[in-house]
Amino acid sequence: MRIDCDVLIIGGGPAGLCAARSLLGTGLNVLILERDPFLGGQLLKQTHMFFGSKEQYAGTRGFEIGQILTREVQASPNVTVMLETVASGYYPEENFILALEKEKKLYQIYFKKVIVATGASEKSLLFEGNDLPGIYGAGAVQTLMNMYGVMPGQDIIMIGSGNIGLIVSYQLLQAGVKVKAILEAAPTVGGYFVHAAKVRRMGIPIFTQTTVKRALGQNALEAVEIVNLDSKWQYVAGTERKWSCDTLCLAVGLSPMSELLWQFQCEMRYVSELGGYVAKRNAIMQTTHPDVYIAGDVSGVEEASSAMLEGTIAGFAAAKALHKMLDSVDQVIQNSQKFLDEMHRGPIGEKIRNGLAKVEVDVCL
Amino acid sequence: MKNKASVVIVGGGITGVAIAYELIKRGVKDIIVLEKNTLSSGATGRCGAGVRQQWGTEMNLKLSIGSVKRFETLQEELEYPHDIEFSQTGYFMPAYTEKQVEQFKKNITLQRKFGLHVEWLEPSDCRKVVPIIDLKGLMAATYYDKDGHLNPFHTTQAYAMACRRKGVDIELFTELIGIKTEHDSIKAAITSKGVIECDSIVNAAGGWSQIVGNMAGVSIPTYSERHQILITEPIEPLFRPMVMSFYHNFYTQQEPNGAIIMGIGDPNEPKEINVDSTYLFLQKMASVVTTVLPPLKHARVVRQWAGMYNMSPDKTPIIGKTQIKGFYLACGFSGHGFMISPMTSTLIAQMMTNEPLAIPEIETKLDLGRFERGELFVEPSVV
Repeated sequence: MRIDCDVLIIGGGPAGLCAARSLLGTGLNVLILERDPFLGGQLLKQTHMFFGSKEQYAGTRGFEIGQILTREVQASPNVTVMLETVASGYYPEENFILALEKEKKLYQIYFKKVIVATGASEKSLLFEGNDLPGIYGAGAVQTLMNMYGVMPGQDIIMIGSGNIGLIVSYQLLQAGVKVKAILEAAPTVGGYFVHAAKVRRMGIPIFTQTTVKRALGQNALEAVEIVNLDSKWQYVAGTERKWSCDTLCLAVGLSPMSELLWQFQCEMRYVSELGGYVAKRNAIMQTTHPDVYIAGDVSGVEEASSAMLEGTIAGFAAAKALHKMLDSVDQVIQNSQKFLDEMHRGPIGEKIRNGLAKVEVDVCL
Repeated sequence: MKNKASVVIVGGGITGVAIAYELIKRGVKDIIVLEKNTLSSGATGRCGAGVRQQWGTEMNLKLSIGSVKRFETLQEELEYPHDIEFSQTGYFMPAYTEKQVEQFKKNITLQRKFGLHVEWLEPSDCRKVVPIIDLKGLMAATYYDKDGHLNPFHTTQAYAMACRRKGVDIELFTELIGIKTEHDSIKAAITSKGVIECDSIVNAAGGWSQIVGNMAGVSIPTYSERHQILITEPIEPLFRPMVMSFYHNFYTQQEPNGAIIMGIGDPNEPKEINVDSTYLFLQKMASVVTTVLPPLKHARVVRQWAGMYNMSPDKTPIIGKTQIKGFYLACGFSGHGFMISPMTSTLIAQMMTNEPLAIPEIETKLDLGRFERGELFVEPSVV
């Protein structure tokens, strides 16, 4: 079946929802495609309170932000939401997005502008036995615990000390799971000091330059063999030791889900600081394809606060391009850009700044 | 990259690397293969990977029978450490019109003369070979259990690894941008990474063969035509052979892992270089294949892609010399380059080293000159 819309938003997470919110009241016909049965994306798994300013919901818990945004968007008459709907491909000759609803109904979706806010997928690690039951990505552990109230295991080892590894370790402790240790392949802890200090205070040791070599177990995970790494990331012979555990959680980063952007033939670049292949874009989140905007993790893996700002910018930019703008649209865009720049300031934002420098193009397309 | 070679081969698909292998095996030194992208990034890595011997002419029977013989032992010959996944699960070719029945009868007589034990199936026998086929409109079928398929990526790698071990230089991400000739002889290949002086150039550029021909001032009447393919998720084993229907213009086969691969021709396809996917294909493929093999309606599509057939005017390969001394052609395979690559490469290598040809009549039947002479090759059994 054919559907026509003005602005198509692919992904109903923080970036997509904020893009939709920017388009409220513009009179534009907005359609959100969301793969899950509910809006909110990763926000729904986030039980911690956000930092930053009031505009960025500081002090509010992630899932509550998701609920607020969902209510706002769903109350709007010009926004349609299709849940359990996958944007399965873009066909350049026919110029539509093919969407599959509830694995049953196919739609050809024509649009004037599209905002790709598809998020990111979890990376895994290569080691012997990495497919044993009991080995999860950190996102899966968060989904089980925070969305469905299911304890993933009793006795867990976390791989990765980035913010996700640290926060999920803390949440596991809160849920009564024993977190044996956090292993980090790099020489230093990856996440914020405040999160690392908190899990250390709770008694979880963090071992740097250490990783998992093998997972052991008959029908499910029973133990892991861990090993030290040298400065060239190679195993240090003789340092292997076996630790028992029933759950191994991999928090080793995310990759932007940029498949659709490839299909749109956007100019792409591999930027390790941003998690993988990302599209080149200008300050208003427009890619080298003039009708395609990006926001959130697909534009470079960061966090929900930046995803929301990018979504806001992309939404207003699409409205402006379709001449449905508020008088103050440039001011609003600049405000969000200012918040985003503030987030990227300082030593913590350095990596992201470096990454963005490789894909940001000056020209307004 | 070296600036001198005896032979420069243009194209890192199956045909190009197989020719390099056959040449170095015959003692030719200083061979360079140019590939503007990665190995098997053109038609080879995008093809349906079927290998059939059920043809309607002596020429194609010789090319395909000789190739299958080589495929049977290729992995050992190339000392490849992985599996090239050659498996002889057969080709099943249904007929839906009186004309097709007549043609298939002629074909099978010829095929049996060449020693192929091709079976003639009445409609009531067909489900023994393809249990899920709908019998509506089906008038007869031929089936040969020694046809099959193999993995195009592994096969290309196998040739390439053997080539490198023996000293062939395979230059990836290196594009041919010009050909220098003098007195109607090859002098040099001009590439994006420098000039290579050489005596011979082999045009194995697949979809780009016409462009490469023009560089040497040789007009090749080939053109590129997009063909699309899709693959489903792996499902339980439903049928073994490649099912190829000329009537519906499609082919489909269940891969060793259970995924089902399929393609369908589009008579309205423009003559151009284009590997975009279309929804139209997805729709048409799905509706036709589920008519013939109804249970496939439950299989979910995982991926679709497109590749280019390098078409010749008579849908038959162009293998041979040109008016430019040292400029050889191995192109225009019209969708069948992968399955006959062992014979193509052997013939080109024999020609270049002045050995007697395994199929001597190719010199007058598959050469470029046939189009000027008006001696088109007619193969009745092509999609």
